[in-house]
Amino acid sequence: MTGSMVLRTRGLTRQYGRDSGLVRAVDEIDLDVPAGQALAIMGPSGCGKSTLLHLLGGLQRPTDGQVWLADHRIDTMSERALARLRRDSVGFVFQSFHLMDELTAVENVELAALLAGQSPRRARKRAMYLLDRVGLADRARHLPAELSGGQRQRVAIARALSNDPLVVLADEPTGNLDSAATVEVLRLFDEIRAAGQTLVVVTHDARIAAVADRMISMRDGAFADDSPLAGAGMAGTGSGRGSGTAAGAAAGTVYGGRR
Amino acid sequence: MAGRLLLVCRLLVRDLRRRPTETVLLLAAIAAATGTLTLGLALNGIADRPYQRTRAATAGPDVVVEPPEVTGTQALTALAPLTTAPGVTGHSGPYPVAYLMLTARGKTVHAVVEGRDRAPATLDRPAVTGGTWVRPGGVVFERAFADALGVHTGDTVSVDGHSLRVDGTAVTAARAAYPRAGWRVPGTPFTDPGGLVWVDRGDIAALAGGSQSLSYTLNVKLADPAAHDAFGAVSSAALNTRSWQFIAEEDSALAKQARKTMLIGSWLLAALAVASVAGIVAGRVIGQRRRLGLLKAVGAGPAMVAAVHLAEYLVIGLAAAGIGLAAGWLAAPLLASPGGGFLGSVGAHPPALRTVVAATCFALVIAAAAALAPVVRAAITDTVHALADAASPPRRRGGRVRLSRRLPTALLIGVRINARRPRRARLAMVNTLITTTTLAAALMFQVQNRQETHIGPSELVNPDDERSYHAMLIVIVVLCVLALINAVVSTWSAVLDARHPLAVARTLGATPGQATAGLSAAQLLPAVPGVAAGIPAGIVLFLAASAGQIRYPPGVWWLATALGILLAVAALTAVPAIAAARRPVADTLRSTAS
Repeated sequence: MTGSMVLRTRGLTRQYGRDSGLVRAVDEIDLDVPAGQALAIMGPSGCGKSTLLHLLGGLQRPTDGQVWLADHRIDTMSERALARLRRDSVGFVFQSFHLMDELTAVENVELAALLAGQSPRRARKRAMYLLDRVGLADRARHLPAELSGGQRQRVAIARALSNDPLVVLADEPTGNLDSAATVEVLRLFDEIRAAGQTLVVVTHDARIAAVADRMISMRDGAFADDSPLAGAGMAGTGSGRGSGTAAGAAAGTVYGGRR
Repeated sequence: MAGRLLLVCRLLVRDLRRRPTETVLLLAAIAAATGTLTLGLALNGIADRPYQRTRAATAGPDVVVEPPEVTGTQALTALAPLTTAPGVTGHSGPYPVAYLMLTARGKTVHAVVEGRDRAPATLDRPAVTGGTWVRPGGVVFERAFADALGVHTGDTVSVDGHSLRVDGTAVTAARAAYPRAGWRVPGTPFTDPGGLVWVDRGDIAALAGGSQSLSYTLNVKLADPAAHDAFGAVSSAALNTRSWQFIAEEDSALAKQARKTMLIGSWLLAALAVASVAGIVAGRVIGQRRRLGLLKAVGAGPAMVAAVHLAEYLVIGLAAAGIGLAAGWLAAPLLASPGGGFLGSVGAHPPALRTVVAATCFALVIAAAAALAPVVRAAITDTVHALADAASPPRRRGGRVRLSRRLPTALLIGVRINARRPRRARLAMVNTLITTTTLAAALMFQVQNRQETHIGPSELVNPDDERSYHAMLIVIVVLCVLALINAVVSTWSAVLDARHPLAVARTLGATPGQATAGLSAAQLLPAVPGVAAGIPAGIVLFLAASAGQIRYPPGVWWLATALGILLAVAALTAVPAIAAARRPVADTLRSTAS
């Protein structure tokens, strides 16, 4: 596998149900995401984009096909190894934030670092730095219930970055936000992209495309379109059904990747 | 490691603070079972420690010797060689003893009357607990005997037709307490239940109708108190010897039935506590599904997820063990009071280490047993499923679907709620089963002839029976409280869990009344088989723990019990159900939208 490729799938398939009730949520998808790329995946509800994101992050196992995260093939990993990989290499941002209600903002951000075995002092320092970066240093000791939707999502983004992951996977990050909060989050994603963080965002929101290097449209579990956006150096050269490979990725890495 | 430990502790503390009611309920459930076990264990030593204390305070003898078949000078002659027998280091007596009839408060009972000097003896110095020691013309009662008869210092009683004033009460370690004082049937080696009184040595001959009819008792101290068997062998076969260990054993038998009741009760309560804790934990884990999914998403492995959840319940178990232990030990004197027969009380000293260890392990096992299944299930739950906070879809069974189509709306809702969470329905059934079993056993106990001890022509309250009755009452009260908690918690969990589907049902036309009735029905339906199985189980339990002729309550009593339990379940579950149904549908739909 190419060294600068952060995510790679081949024939990735996820089915639900059986016989006449069989649904192919993700249908033989080939995808390459090079380091530093900001990829937006769009499509109508139920087209399989969230399932694809879950498969990429190891939250779900494919019915068929392979997934690599960096040099690790994750579809055959044990649950324990997957957990370790998630806390070390993947940051998740969810539509409904999924902050722990009983923990303050800074405690939510340091969650992954503590799970990864970092010392409490170091985890707290990093969490405070990230909260400062997302503009919420003054809200660090507030509970999620005391924060607005946009602020909660910024805390979730800070949490996703706390372990300096290889890739940030965001599932409808602006889906529950009003316009003002959406703008805040978009600005943050733009900063993350500019810093060279690999980013995969599943969204309905066309404005996300403004901060992406590449956009894939999905329909019925497969890729319908894969196009580079302004500033992006690589485009999908689909090969067969559901193809979204990034040819020449090694040469075309726009952002510096991890750190 | 420090970071993970901090995280586990942080989540534990925040969760306990966030759900104080559930935490208190968990504590109450486990502490109730632990407290009952502590009470049962305290009864094991009911007479042990107080007897030892009484023995030390009254210079109790190692062996008491009586010639059962001879009286007067013959008895004195038989006892005389023992005072200088090998291994004997001290003695008191022989004291004259008469087995007479005592009349007090209209009751005539057996009394072992012992003649004593006013001066204290070297061995067996009965400790006066009220009034004074013996004086001419007076009588001192063994305290438990006085309690059973209801006599007090200053009263007048009659001993074989002779009036005596009650000078006081005292306790001794030389004879077992009432009713095991050992009233000897004249001219035979056999004994009957009776109580002990002391009179002035100068009065006893007149009471017994002459000195030749007096028996005698000798208190002996041995160089080696454990060598009473050897002493018994050297003394004449015609002498009756009672070691202090035998007397202590006799006294401990006083609480045998009560101890059995408490121990069976504690196991029933433990089963109920497991059901209760399992119900609460299952509800909590369901409520924490998103948190669980998030933990997994950010990299917590199954072991970490299990540790986060299990730590909470083990900490609660530990706290409950402390509460239960303290409550059980403090309550022990109420039930396990050694009565008038001894000095001190059962709960006056800290519990034995084995009691502390047993109670702590018991509480932790309850917490772990109840939490293990939901926690393991949580640890292996699919992350995406947990994040979506989706309930497992009920298995579609054709029969159930066809049946529910024909049911009225309320019953249909109840059937569907149970189909959605079958484990909770099973816990509700177990809860009712254990409650009904205990109540049925208590009903059986209640209809038996309350045993009164025949102490001569009259009957007195049997202290064994009284203790058993009190033990049964304690078990029933604790069990009913626990069952009540279970019913309310189970319904409240159902309310929280079903609020979204019920809100949807209401948008489709179900009325608040139908929703309330549906929630109640969801608890009532599994209670029916629980009641049906609990009544025969309670009868079997009682039969297994009893001996002798058994009486059964009339059928209508059983019917009333069954209906009463079902009505109680319906009433208890209606309260949270009504509270839930009063909330506007729109609010519920908004708050449960994912």
